[in-house]
Amino acid sequence: MRLRHYRHLLFVLPALLVYGVFVIYPTLSAFWLSLFDWSGVGISMNFIALTNYVEALQSTELYRAGWHNLIFFLAILAIQNTIGLFLAIQLDARPRGVEFYRTVLFMPVLVSLVATGFIWSLMLSPNIGIINPLLKDLGLGGLAQPWLSSKTFALPTVIIVQAWQMLGWSIVIYLAGLQGIPAELREAAQIDGATSWNVFRHITFPLLAPSFTILTVLTFILIFRVFDVVYVLAGPAGAPAGATDVLGTLIYRNAFGSTGAFAGMSLRMSYAISISVIMFVFLGIFSAILVLWLRRREVRI
Amino acid sequence: MSDVPQHHATPKRQFVGLTRHIILIVACLVVICPIAYMFIASFKTIQDFFEFPYGLPTIWEWQNYVRAWEEANVAVTFTNSVIVTGLGVLGTTTLASLAAYGLSQPGKPLSTPLFMLFVGGLLIPVQLIVLPLFILMRQLSLSGTLFSIILPYSALGLPLAVLILVPFFSALPRELVDAARVDGASELQIFYRIMLPLVRPALAAVIILDGVWMWNEFFIPLVILTKPATHTLAVGIVSFFGLYSTEWGLVFASVAISTLPLIVAYILLTRQFVAGLSAGALKG
Repeated sequence: MRLRHYRHLLFVLPALLVYGVFVIYPTLSAFWLSLFDWSGVGISMNFIALTNYVEALQSTELYRAGWHNLIFFLAILAIQNTIGLFLAIQLDARPRGVEFYRTVLFMPVLVSLVATGFIWSLMLSPNIGIINPLLKDLGLGGLAQPWLSSKTFALPTVIIVQAWQMLGWSIVIYLAGLQGIPAELREAAQIDGATSWNVFRHITFPLLAPSFTILTVLTFILIFRVFDVVYVLAGPAGAPAGATDVLGTLIYRNAFGSTGAFAGMSLRMSYAISISVIMFVFLGIFSAILVLWLRRREVRI
Repeated sequence: MSDVPQHHATPKRQFVGLTRHIILIVACLVVICPIAYMFIASFKTIQDFFEFPYGLPTIWEWQNYVRAWEEANVAVTFTNSVIVTGLGVLGTTTLASLAAYGLSQPGKPLSTPLFMLFVGGLLIPVQLIVLPLFILMRQLSLSGTLFSIILPYSALGLPLAVLILVPFFSALPRELVDAARVDGASELQIFYRIMLPLVRPALAAVIILDGVWMWNEFFIPLVILTKPATHTLAVGIVSFFGLYSTEWGLVFASVAISTLPLIVAYILLTRQFVAGLSAGALKG
């Protein structure tokens, strides 16, 4: 009889086994491996306790990369909550051809970030690109920039490329939220003489709080692992001069060198792992705060 | 309801409608132009890239595709991507639906802690896990094989798949199981013949979500698949570009080949894709 009670666990066992070996074990071993001085190849592994952590926490590179991730997150969030929300509202009004518009606007989500990076690196190229010539032909030649080699413009450019690929998420999530709001609520306010801005400000936007939560969490998860677009547009060193360096490239570079896998001279696998552990701890704290804030916000509104 | 403003075609309303269409058309152009540009670039000769940056190709160079397939290793990387995505999706869907069925039975011991254990995986950043995985694959002598990526894909797909599937299984009436048991069906038969077909919409969501992710993923295979013979499309394109950075035509033919399958599938199955992908987002 007791065995019968546990029979359902037989169904869970295969998944648990695979999950244990390829997710839980690597996660735990990261903490252990970070305590050594190890290049990643060979058997020379010296136990050095927390030395990697001390060094990482004192390096300016870590804070610069983390700061770039934070700017990345906030900028993408801002774009999604302005342009994305605005476009969702336009679709919610059900203009003729709404299906077509929605299909097109969601499409970049299907384009890989590597492909996105290549498309934009060609368009932005100073020699053979189209963005600068286009600006010139429109009489806006003064706005032309060496987009990816300028210390000022490189990070914003990379962020906009990533935003192009991700915008579809905010449109679909907000559209689903908008369609869940009963039309009577807005109509009642209009009859009471509220302007359309006031209807949005006091009725629609507060009722979109759950959509805002979902979008923020999704963006958070996607942006703190951002790597592909930076790698394709700016290389593993976050060119120019680290202006686009993020945590993903910082970790990759320390583990595998900056000129492709195993070509670098000083590979520091253990040091790279210690940075990823710091990131994990920081993300844990940050996401706990984020979730608490979002929950409280939902209740308040 | 007679007080509600009717949608008359007043001049103001027409203006608002027209502005709305203009805004949406501009937004669509911002989306479509870069994608169209990718396909156009894939047919250009190197000379065209320099002389006519934004014209159509003077000669439509179909050879780019042939050469990409042969010289840029796309024949190998495309096949690898198909195998890795196919087996990864199969692995994660099979494991997750078995587990989700097991965890959906109410009041059984360990259900909640195990569910939390799986879903908690969503909080682990890939950066943390990918280096130890790379080392683990060497220890298991799996590096240099496609299994070194198929197994991590199957495992890393589980958190979201379990999160999506468990509520669907929980919503099914338990009487179905009891009735089948009375009829003498085995436990596995009950799962496979009766329960699994009833959660088909959730399965479609899991397959689309994980399929898109595995096909497009770059960071994990970049770290783990160090041998060119095992490269997936994304890794292969980047490493080809690293060696021949002026072969833009070949690079874009490869990029187009990597993008086309998902775009075609999306256009054919728009509804399922949007529902499937946002199921992931709305759950997460």
